[in-house]
Amino acid sequence: MEAPPVTMMPVTGGTINMMEYLLQGSVLDHSLESLIHRLRGLCDNMEPETFLDHEMVFLLKGQQASPFVLRARRSMDRAGAPWHLRYLGQPEMGDKNRHALVRNCVDIATSENLTDFLMEMGFRMDHEFVARGHLFRKGIMKIVVYKIFRILTPGNTDNTEALSLSYLVELSVVAPAGQDVVSDDMRNFAEQLKPLVHLEKIDPKRLM
Amino acid sequence: MPTEQREEKQLEASLDALLSQVADLKNSLGSFIYKLENEYDRLTWPSVLDSFALLSGQLNTLNKVLKHEKTPLFRNQVIIPLVLSPDRDEDLMRQTEGRVPVFSHEVVPDHLRTKPDPEVEEQEKQLTTDAARIGADAAQKQIQSLNKMCSNLLEKISKEEREAESGGLRPNKQTFNPADTNALVAAVAFGKGLSNWRPSGSSGPGQPGQPGAGTILAGASGLQQVQMAGAPSQQQPMLSGVQIAQAGQPDIFRERAGRRAIPLSLAVQGQMPQRF
Repeated sequence: MEAPPVTMMPVTGGTINMMEYLLQGSVLDHSLESLIHRLRGLCDNMEPETFLDHEMVFLLKGQQASPFVLRARRSMDRAGAPWHLRYLGQPEMGDKNRHALVRNCVDIATSENLTDFLMEMGFRMDHEFVARGHLFRKGIMKIVVYKIFRILTPGNTDNTEALSLSYLVELSVVAPAGQDVVSDDMRNFAEQLKPLVHLEKIDPKRLM
Repeated sequence: MPTEQREEKQLEASLDALLSQVADLKNSLGSFIYKLENEYDRLTWPSVLDSFALLSGQLNTLNKVLKHEKTPLFRNQVIIPLVLSPDRDEDLMRQTEGRVPVFSHEVVPDHLRTKPDPEVEEQEKQLTTDAARIGADAAQKQIQSLNKMCSNLLEKISKEEREAESGGLRPNKQTFNPADTNALVAAVAFGKGLSNWRPSGSSGPGQPGQPGAGTILAGASGLQQVQMAGAPSQQQPMLSGVQIAQAGQPDIFRERAGRRAIPLSLAVQGQMPQRF
């Protein structure tokens, strides 16, 4: 099998060398309205935006021990919207001075034959889910509140069930590497959502 | 004598300032007392605080006037009653707003007094003798017991306060569940608890959408569903059999999870929905 593609090489410059700063939390279904209400007040004045996405996670196994992972996402409620391919790097917890999780990220819009292309390259689907929720913005910060649905029959996004009785809440900023100051703004914003939601930097490795 | 004249003028000016400050203070006190007596049933706490703030502000201004460098020291001024008269004095009546009708031997000692009231003086004397009578040891003991009582009381009050605070929060129902947070983060980070279409039998990547493997794994993933106390289970009835069968052998599941840990080390993490 071919060596994993480009991103194993260090990428520098342009929009490629971007980092995602992330804080995560959750809110129970019955408190969703209060959270949405508060977010509407706190965030930029914009039309409330909702989304319904289908995400598929693909793996490519090379010689290395760890396979290469790509995420493909498509909108289910917006016909004709491009697909979204995303690479996410190893998350770094950092120290106490940085208030958010940081990971490398590469985002790209693609045509709808993305899955075929990935399959041809040797990628295999690992898992998939449906995400439905709300999107808010405040400056460069993005806040998404969404429910995750498990897909019961492969590829059939109509046959789903909710994963839990909560909505996942994520606060993220995509910024050039080294812009740790943005995590201060994120922390301040997260403070304003307490005690409704506690946004924290959660190390996913802890949950494996 | 220009110096004397200037001093006199200064004294008069200071007295005027003092009088106007005291009049202000008196008016505020009057209206506050009026409020307390007549509007106590619809008086709000903020408005009481406002009145207090006004009074304290006026007292401060009064103090400033007294401490002003141009204000002569009033204690250096001597007031001597020159004439005492049992007759009604209309002028005095007007100046004191009807409180002092006559300037007689009866009222002068009260109004020109510079020492405390006789009863107060008596009480003070009593206290001083009492204090002198008890020994240093006894006094020390009393001080200690008083301090102890104070700190006990303080502790009780602050404890009560804390409890009231947390009690105030308690009725608020929980708005989030940390276990749910973890489950959701794990799901977006590496598909934990989500439909996993990879066959469990082969270590390499399998064909997506193999129906047999899909069914089994969907059941296995059902195991990871976050169960909340009192919440209705979201388990599909058809999976419950699988769940029970596998619950007895968690090792199978763990083994599978262990294999899955390989992709995780690359750890492509949780995903935000993107809009273009």
